[in-house]
Amino acid sequence: MEQKLEPKFTSQLWYLTIKNFKSMIREVSQLVWIFGYPLVFILLFRFGYGLEVFDIFAPGVVILAPIVLISQLAGHFAEEKESGTLQRLITTPVSRSTVLLSGLFSQLIVAAIQIVVMLLLILVFGVSISPNANVFLLFFIPFIVAFTSLGFGLILASVVRTASSAGGLAWFIILPLQFLGGLLTVPLVDFIPTSLAAEAMGAVMIHGSMAFDPVGLNLILITIWGVGLIFLGILLFQRKTAIL
Amino acid sequence: MIVLDLAIETNNLKKYFGDIHAVDGINLEIPKGSLFGVLGPNGAGKTTTIRMLSTILHPTSGDVSVLGFDVKKDAREIKKRIGVCPQELVLYPRLSARENIYLIAQMHGMVKKDYKERTDELLGKMNLLDRANSLVKGYSGGMKRRINVLMAVIHEPELLFFDEPTAGLDPQSRRVVWDFIRDFQEKESTIILTTHSMEEADDLSDELVIIDHGKIISQGTPDELKGKLGEGDILEFKVKELEQRDEIIERAKTLDFVRWGKPVGKHRIVLNALDGLRRVSEIMDVVKVKMEDISVRKNTLEDVFIDLTGRRLRD
Repeated sequence: MEQKLEPKFTSQLWYLTIKNFKSMIREVSQLVWIFGYPLVFILLFRFGYGLEVFDIFAPGVVILAPIVLISQLAGHFAEEKESGTLQRLITTPVSRSTVLLSGLFSQLIVAAIQIVVMLLLILVFGVSISPNANVFLLFFIPFIVAFTSLGFGLILASVVRTASSAGGLAWFIILPLQFLGGLLTVPLVDFIPTSLAAEAMGAVMIHGSMAFDPVGLNLILITIWGVGLIFLGILLFQRKTAIL
Repeated sequence: MIVLDLAIETNNLKKYFGDIHAVDGINLEIPKGSLFGVLGPNGAGKTTTIRMLSTILHPTSGDVSVLGFDVKKDAREIKKRIGVCPQELVLYPRLSARENIYLIAQMHGMVKKDYKERTDELLGKMNLLDRANSLVKGYSGGMKRRINVLMAVIHEPELLFFDEPTAGLDPQSRRVVWDFIRDFQEKESTIILTTHSMEEADDLSDELVIIDHGKIISQGTPDELKGKLGEGDILEFKVKELEQRDEIIERAKTLDFVRWGKPVGKHRIVLNALDGLRRVSEIMDVVKVKMEDISVRKNTLEDVFIDLTGRRLRD
């Protein structure tokens, strides 16, 4: 039997990630959603309520940015299922887990860009950041939140059939996370990823804190949330797209 | 005994979805290098069969060997060697034609220089070079269909599955795709073609099967299948009186050169008659009614298909 070339996992992952990223940035409506939704709240707090209120809510608004990735990732995988491209891909020698990982990676690239843009925007609009604030943590806290968003996104992707239903249903996760977590109001629940992240982000940004409680402890708790959600998401998604 | 080098061999292949027996005991032996047609009405089990052969669906039972590999144990080895052109237009709309084709080549681990050269060659053959860098979402249906085909062949697979490759294409584009499929077969690839176009199946297939209700109901070369309906010509005509229809058929069948006859719809009759064109007047004498809208033609695969699967509409 003739031996065939063995495609490399890393190359497949790279090319799929690039493909996902290109598909995303070429869709204007997705760009508007990714950057526009958090930008609306930056403008609202800065010019609607004034600089004092903006200083208080700026940490929450930065956390808000990666939350929108829930609908992004769910929509991405729902579109792959709906259009048949997922099935087309798995007729090639690429595994479903590589396809899945590429979806997560491309969204993490978006999250990184999005967080940097939001941090720069709040600075441009005059937010007061503590001189002792750790710049790495200002980036890292929302980036860890992006993981939990991707977990929620994967779970949603495994239960929806179409990209449009993913977009609609995502609001049932985004809004509770946004409001219960106190990103734009006072927090109502203190154990969900958004309230933990908002508290840690506020401590770093406003007070320049590096204390274990709330910064380190909350980061550990958000990571546990993220790992748990991603694990559950992968499990459900693999089951729903399994070859029967 | 001649032992053929087989591309596909199935033994009592079955796929059940609950109570639905989508594929119900199919046995196939498809030689390497052949172009094998799979015909059948909607819901007959064609696509389910193709999906099992292309490793994206597991059989409920039965053995399947594709290019010498077992579909359950060696799916990855099979995937390295096959190309699948699905019935639907399965493309990434926000990638260009070139990027769509590159992606499949990259998943197969092709070398960049090779897949770039080959993509240009293929795009040229399908008259798509001018628009190769435009996003696919702006393409016409025909252009998308051609890209759909190219994505299946970029990596020069040993075995190709074409599921309705020309559905919805205009006659010019259809012929371009047919020529392309023939070219591919000349390179000794094995091609499995499912189609609703009898002309396509007749023109391209070396051998074909007709599947209905998950079972093979007929198999052979296009000429062998047409031969099963009789050697004669097909004579079709319209009669005014509905009540006379069955009587006319019985009278026509008394002629020794009329092989068979049957009604089509309410007012049309089809007869199979040897040398039918020259003997229309003899038939008219016997049936003793005014025949309208008469046509005489050779047997086609469509006649065979309708004869075997009936006229009832399927879901």
